[in-house]
Amino acid sequence: MIRNKLKKLAVVGTAFFALEAAAVDFSGKTIEIVVPFSPGGATFVSAKFLEPYLEKHLPGNPDINVVDRPGGGSILGANWFEKNAKSDGTTILFTTSSTANPFVLGKKGVEYRLADYRIAYSHPFSAVAYTSPGTGIKTAKDVKNSKQPLVYGGIAAAASDLPGLLSFEVLGLDVKSVLGFKGRGPARLAFAQGETNLDYQFTPVYLTQVVPSVAEGKAVPLWTGGAVDSEGKLRKRDPIAPELPSVYEVHKQLYGKEPSGIKWQAFEAIASVTYAYGLTAYMHPDTSQDILDAFAKAANDINNDPAFQAESKKVTNGARLSAGPETEKAIKGALKPSPEVKKYLVDLLSSKFGVKF
Amino acid sequence: MLEHALPAFLALIDPIRIGALLAGMAVGMIFGMLPGLGGVAAVSILLPFIYLLDDYSGLAMLLGAVAVVYTADTITSVLLGAPGSPASAPTAIEGHALAKQGKAAEALGVGFLASMVGGLLGAVILLFAIPVAGPIVLSLGTPELFMFAVVGLFFASSMLGKNLAKGLGAALFGIFIGSIGPASAEADFRFTLDQVYLLDGLSLTIVALGLFGVAEVIAMLASGGGISGGAVPVTNWRDGFVGFVKHRWLILRSAFIGVFGGFVPAVGASASTWVAYGHAIRSSKEPKKFGKGDIRGVAAAEGANNATIISDLIPTLLFSVPGGPAAAIFLGAMFSFGYYPGPRMITQNPDIMFLIVWSVALASVIGALVCFAVTPALARLTKLPFALIAAPLVLVMVMGAYQSTGTMGDMVMLLLLGLVGWAMKHADWPRAPALVGFVLADPMEQYFWLSNQIHGWSWLARPGVIIIILLLVTPLLYRWWKARNVVADSSSTDDSADANTGDVRVNFSLSLVLLAVFVWAFVSSLEFSPDSRLLPWLALLPGIPTFALLVYQSSKKLGLSEKTAALSEIPYLLALGIYVLGIYLFGFYLATVPFVAWMLFGCASSRPITGLAYGVVIYGLSMFLFGLLRGGPPGGIFF
Repeated sequence: MIRNKLKKLAVVGTAFFALEAAAVDFSGKTIEIVVPFSPGGATFVSAKFLEPYLEKHLPGNPDINVVDRPGGGSILGANWFEKNAKSDGTTILFTTSSTANPFVLGKKGVEYRLADYRIAYSHPFSAVAYTSPGTGIKTAKDVKNSKQPLVYGGIAAAASDLPGLLSFEVLGLDVKSVLGFKGRGPARLAFAQGETNLDYQFTPVYLTQVVPSVAEGKAVPLWTGGAVDSEGKLRKRDPIAPELPSVYEVHKQLYGKEPSGIKWQAFEAIASVTYAYGLTAYMHPDTSQDILDAFAKAANDINNDPAFQAESKKVTNGARLSAGPETEKAIKGALKPSPEVKKYLVDLLSSKFGVKF
Repeated sequence: MLEHALPAFLALIDPIRIGALLAGMAVGMIFGMLPGLGGVAAVSILLPFIYLLDDYSGLAMLLGAVAVVYTADTITSVLLGAPGSPASAPTAIEGHALAKQGKAAEALGVGFLASMVGGLLGAVILLFAIPVAGPIVLSLGTPELFMFAVVGLFFASSMLGKNLAKGLGAALFGIFIGSIGPASAEADFRFTLDQVYLLDGLSLTIVALGLFGVAEVIAMLASGGGISGGAVPVTNWRDGFVGFVKHRWLILRSAFIGVFGGFVPAVGASASTWVAYGHAIRSSKEPKKFGKGDIRGVAAAEGANNATIISDLIPTLLFSVPGGPAAAIFLGAMFSFGYYPGPRMITQNPDIMFLIVWSVALASVIGALVCFAVTPALARLTKLPFALIAAPLVLVMVMGAYQSTGTMGDMVMLLLLGLVGWAMKHADWPRAPALVGFVLADPMEQYFWLSNQIHGWSWLARPGVIIIILLLVTPLLYRWWKARNVVADSSSTDDSADANTGDVRVNFSLSLVLLAVFVWAFVSSLEFSPDSRLLPWLALLPGIPTFALLVYQSSKKLGLSEKTAALSEIPYLLALGIYVLGIYLFGFYLATVPFVAWMLFGCASSRPITGLAYGVVIYGLSMFLFGLLRGGPPGGIFF
């Protein structure tokens, strides 16, 4: 009975919020989406991919303008946002963990207060680990019995490679990490050339490039970073490749118990901003709740838009947008890791990968 | 697969698609001609429009732009001496020198035809991407890519010029500025002075504009209302065709060098252009003519740069790994249309593959024809007072530089490097080695580091590496063998006599400043990890004695210097500096007004009405372009 009443109240509440949200009107306005990377990159392409749906579903059908502001490994663009963003919802910073990690690690030159920003919407950017058949590894369970030394090709430890490197720590793998490639593309070429034999690729590239080579017997898929479950833990299988275990599961398979401790906490924090909330749209800290609700509603409508579903099925195996208080809470939590996790990260990066702070 | 060739061609000649291709070409040609704006800017500016079109038209539009940028940039490089794009810097050196000798038509004609050949070769290679190019790309591991960079550096050594110290100094300066920013794997950020702007290193566009463009514009402004040297006559294309036929094999070889450059991911057309240019010098019997106007330099550079930008599409289409910056944007556009390039795309969408090949081939041919058609009219513009041409050029260069990050740092960097380029010009240092050093520094370090990380030193024994070493060493041994049998001629030791060509005071100041910078850099490099020190030390250790020598040599002659061109140009440099400061304080809108007024009335002594009208047009156009490119020009602190 009481539960029913509460439910009704909740319905009324949502309806009320929906009404409030309808009061936000972007008609005749232009929303500038700042992407702090080059126009050919995955983040820019994703922003362009979402552009028509946002124009269609935001109240007043605003004109969306995706602008690239590359430089400083995304720090320049984010700093520009810090100085120039408006709080009326018409400036958005759309970025990845490349912006979040320097903030979390407190690197020099970061002027943006990422953890204070409001979160308009977020899109997962899952990653899949795979290896070459030459290692003799058939599934994730064999990963510790590789016939060849495992060599991973990456870009830089303190950037988007961080969760991948942390997953090797969590799983206790002896991996030689060769960092210094200019992008995930060249790293993938090095894998195809046989120079490396362990690689991570993000969703669209995995589906379009790696899956075909799996079919040809040139790659063996291993695991995904995982997806966030209802308790906010990174334990679920990732819907982009539901046949593959998550890092969490692989740990259980290898060691018979669930992962825990500082390594796991660090991985969970960094992996959730990299994978589960990989592409996130940030807004000015003073943005009103009405505007955020309007975006949350638009995100929901986009998820239900058949055209979006059909397109995203092709590119991301049907990944959906997330928005609203839950999402915001999860992202903000990950942006403020505990002092122990931070210390662990700084120690690992400086001792194992020679990163200077 | 070939059965798709005709349907794809028929699909392309649909009026809307051909229209899109031509529209893309128009934008590509204009951006190719504007110094500092090139393929990347052209493709970015077209990006919003392609979404209004169908997939075939949209992709054709982008390809039209990409395929002609390196044809049209020849015009600016030859006529004005400011490179239309970074990859045509050799054309600016040789072609402009030829133009001054009245041979502009020859330089332009050879340039256009060589570009066309480069584009067509790129298209043919694209056609055989799967059976031929794909396996080649896959056989190039990081050690082979490192060896390519070494080959480039080896060729660059032939550009050092007659005074070894100056040439070496320029090259080392290039390597040094190439080492600014992240070391391999971002373990160290070098020489960044705690500026976020420098975290990614310097942009090629700004380095090329600064070293080559700024000095030319300053000279133009300083020459004022006068028509120095008269118009460049471009009437008779016969010499162009004759030159083309004469150097056809060099052009073809350069185009192949360019194609290889395209195979290497993330290395743009600049590197392969310099390699082709170096090859032209090496293979020439009279290498001393280079730098003073040698048509072979134009032939090689233009054959290579267009081939590279087309074959950049090969790793892009086969592996989804963009071969260069413009190809990266093209890849993004393909994603947006729902095409995911990869080995399968060519079997799944052969129509698209052929559409790309046809678009590129058509654009290469039509682009060259259009260039032939419009150049005589453009060449007549050189009758205008130089300062009138310089005015819009300065604005375009500022705009081009600002495309890199959209911050004030771009303009400050343009100014600083412009100062260095200007000083190098007047001190008679060759500027080519500086740009080559810059272009090759990054791939050299990256691939050396990766090779050693992955393979240890065993990579030296890889067959590909050994083949490249043999290709480098054999001709050297052969020459040495030949030279042994000839009585040594004594033309090699007039270095000290040449040391003080150019302006002595500029030479002294430049050497002194670079010496100080290098000493400072050396001290700060002591904090880096040993791996991060390798590349900077390659520049710093030989650099410090080189600059010290130059300081010593020039200081001896300091007393007897007379009034020179350099001295009279200093106010113009200052004005440019004040302009950049003005942008910083008051924004582009306000600062540009007095600056344009000064250029038109102060330098070009325009009549009030015509000057005003011209000024308004330039101002309006620059605002329009800025709006298209970046949603508006930079604002200042106060406005």
